[in-house]
Amino acid sequence: MIKVKNLTKDFTLNKKQRKEMGDDFKDTKTLRAVDNISFECQPGRIFGLLGPNGAGKTTSLRMIATMLKPTSGSINVSSYDTVSDGQAVRGQIGFMTGQTALYDRLTPVEMVKYIADLHGMSKKKFQKRKDKIFNLLDMEGFADRRIARLSTGMKQKTSIARTIIHDPDVMIFDEPTSGLDVMASRAIVELIKSCREEGKTVIFSTHRMGEVNQVCDDIAMIYKGKLCYNNTLDQFKSEMTQPTFEEEFVHRVGKI
Amino acid sequence: MKFWIIAKKEILDITRDRRTMLMMVVLPLLLVPVLLGTVMKIDSFQKEKASEEPVKIRFVGKEYAPELYQAFVSTDKVAMLNQVPVDSINLYLEENFLDAAITVEKNHQSKINQNSQADIRIQYKGTDSFNIAREKIKSLLESSQEKIITERMARLNLKRGIVQAYNIEYIDVATKQEILGKMIGGWLPYIFILFGFMGAMYPALDLGSGEKERGTLETILSSPASRFDIVMGKFLVIMLAAFLTAFLALAGLMIGLSQISDIPPQILVVVNKMFNLKTMALIMTLVLPVSAFFSATLLGLSIYANSFKEAQSIAAPLNIAIVFIAVMGTLPGIELNALTAMIPILNVSLASKDIFGGSINPFYMVEVYLSLFGFAAISIILCTRAFNNERTLFRN
Repeated sequence: MIKVKNLTKDFTLNKKQRKEMGDDFKDTKTLRAVDNISFECQPGRIFGLLGPNGAGKTTSLRMIATMLKPTSGSINVSSYDTVSDGQAVRGQIGFMTGQTALYDRLTPVEMVKYIADLHGMSKKKFQKRKDKIFNLLDMEGFADRRIARLSTGMKQKTSIARTIIHDPDVMIFDEPTSGLDVMASRAIVELIKSCREEGKTVIFSTHRMGEVNQVCDDIAMIYKGKLCYNNTLDQFKSEMTQPTFEEEFVHRVGKI
Repeated sequence: MKFWIIAKKEILDITRDRRTMLMMVVLPLLLVPVLLGTVMKIDSFQKEKASEEPVKIRFVGKEYAPELYQAFVSTDKVAMLNQVPVDSINLYLEENFLDAAITVEKNHQSKINQNSQADIRIQYKGTDSFNIAREKIKSLLESSQEKIITERMARLNLKRGIVQAYNIEYIDVATKQEILGKMIGGWLPYIFILFGFMGAMYPALDLGSGEKERGTLETILSSPASRFDIVMGKFLVIMLAAFLTAFLALAGLMIGLSQISDIPPQILVVVNKMFNLKTMALIMTLVLPVSAFFSATLLGLSIYANSFKEAQSIAAPLNIAIVFIAVMGTLPGIELNALTAMIPILNVSLASKDIFGGSINPFYMVEVYLSLFGFAAISIILCTRAFNNERTLFRN
C-alpha cells in the first residue's frame, strides 16, 4: 500500500537553469515540481499516474522510491515512512524505468543476483525465484551472455527480472514502455497485470492513455505538479464528457 | 555489509573493462620496464658512442704552443681538423662538425718559459653532448698544466705547498645507499604516485559519473543499500585498483632494472640493498593511504560530474597538479618535517626519499599516514554527502 499525503517538492534553480528555462523563470529561485498532491494505491490494484512530460510524475515516483526527499508532506509505503524508514521502504519496492538501465559488462544472471544480494535473499531462495522468472520470461537462452550483447527485448526482460527478483510487495513503474516496440511493451503490460494478480500494490506512470485503459484500476491525473483528478478508472469513464481519453485529459487540465 | 556486495560487483565489472585493465595491469607492467630499458639502452649507447668517438678540435696557433699541441695530437681521444678556416670556426661549431676550437696566443711559449700565465681560448657549443668533449679537453689541459707547474717548481726549487696552501680531504659520512636513495627516492615516487592516480582515475570515473550517465544509478539508489554502503563499496574498489596499479608499476620497475645488464656492480649492490623486502613493504604502506586519498577525491568529483566526459575534464588538470606537487619533493632543501609530512603527495614523495635513503623518521612517517588517511576520510564524508545530495545526483 502507498499513501501519499500533501506531497510537495521544490527544486532550487541555479542561474544556468533559470536561463535555460526561459523568461518565465528569470526571477524564480525555486521550481515546484509537485504541488500538494495526495492519493492512495491499494494492494491488488493498478494505480495509473497520468500526465504529460514534465508534469511531476517521475519526481513523485522518485520520492516514493526514496531517491528524493519531499519538501513537505509524507509518503507511507507498506506502513514505512519514506524519510525516516528509507531503507525499509527500499526493501519493499521494485522500481523500473523506461530506460533499460543495466550493467553492460554483467550477464543477466549476475545482474539479477546482484540485486537479490542487496535485498539479502538467501542462495536457495534466489535460485528458486531466478529459475521461475527466467523460465517465465524465456531467458534461459541468454542468461549467461553479457548484457551489452543482448537485443533490446532481451535487455527489457533482464530489467523485468531484476525488478521482481526479490518479490517486492510494491511495484513502481516509471513510464516503463517508453521507447519500446509493441512486443516489448506488451511484455511489460503483462508483467504489470500479473503483479495485480499476485496482490501487489502497483503504481504506474505513463502519458499513453491507451495503456491506462488497458491496465489501470485507479487513476490520478497530474499536470504542472498539481493533481487534477483522482478516482477509479470506471468512475472517470462515467464522468467523461469528451469522446477520447486524450481529449478528456486536455479538457480537464484546461480547467487548472 | 552491503558495501561488500557492491564492491564485489564493481570488481567483476571493472575487471571486464578493457580500458581499466589496460591502465591497471598492462601499462604499468609493460610500459615501465620497456620505457626504463629503452631509455637506459639509448643513454648507454649514446655515452659509449660519444666516448669512443674522438673529439674534433681545431687548434689555432699550433706553431706558438708546440708542446701543448703535441699533447693533444699524441692521444687518440682527439682528431685535429686543422683544415677548418679560422673565420668559419663558429659555423663549424654551430653545425656540430667541430666539438671545440682551441686558440693560443702568439707569445704562448715565451709566457710559459717566463713562468707567466698563458691565455688559452676554447670555443664550443654548450649543449649536453659537449660534456664528454669538455671532460677530455679538460683532462688533457690539466695534465699539460701539471707538467709545466712541476717543471717550474723544480727549476725554482719550490715545494708544492707554495701554490697549494691547503690539502683538503672531503670525507662523506653518507652511505652509498643514502646518496643513491636520495637520488632514486626523488623520482621513484613519480612512478607510483602517477600510476596510482591513473589506476584510480578510470574506475572512479566509471563507477561515479559513468553510472549516472548510463542510468544505472536509479537501480542502485532504489535498492536497500544505504548511500554510505554505495560510496564505501565503490571507494574500496577504486582504492584496490589504484593500489594494484601502483604496485604493478613498482614491480615493472624492478623487472626493468633486473633486465639492465650494464649497471656498474657497486651500484647494483646498493640498488639491491635498497629494494629489499623491508623497504618495499614500507613503500607499499605509503602507496595504500595515497591510493585511498586519490580514490576518495576522484570518486567525489566523479559523483559531482554529470557525465564521464565532464569528470574527465575535471580530473585531467588534477593530474598536472599532482605531478607539480611530486616534483616539489625533488627540489633541494625540501625535507620531510612536521609540516611537510602533513601535505598530501608531497609527504609521500619526501617520505619515500628517506625510506630509500634508509633514514626515515618514524614520527614523521606516522604523521604522513595520519595526514593521508585523514584527507581520505574527509573525502569519503564529502562523497557520502554528495551521494545524499539530490542536486548532485540529479543535476539534470
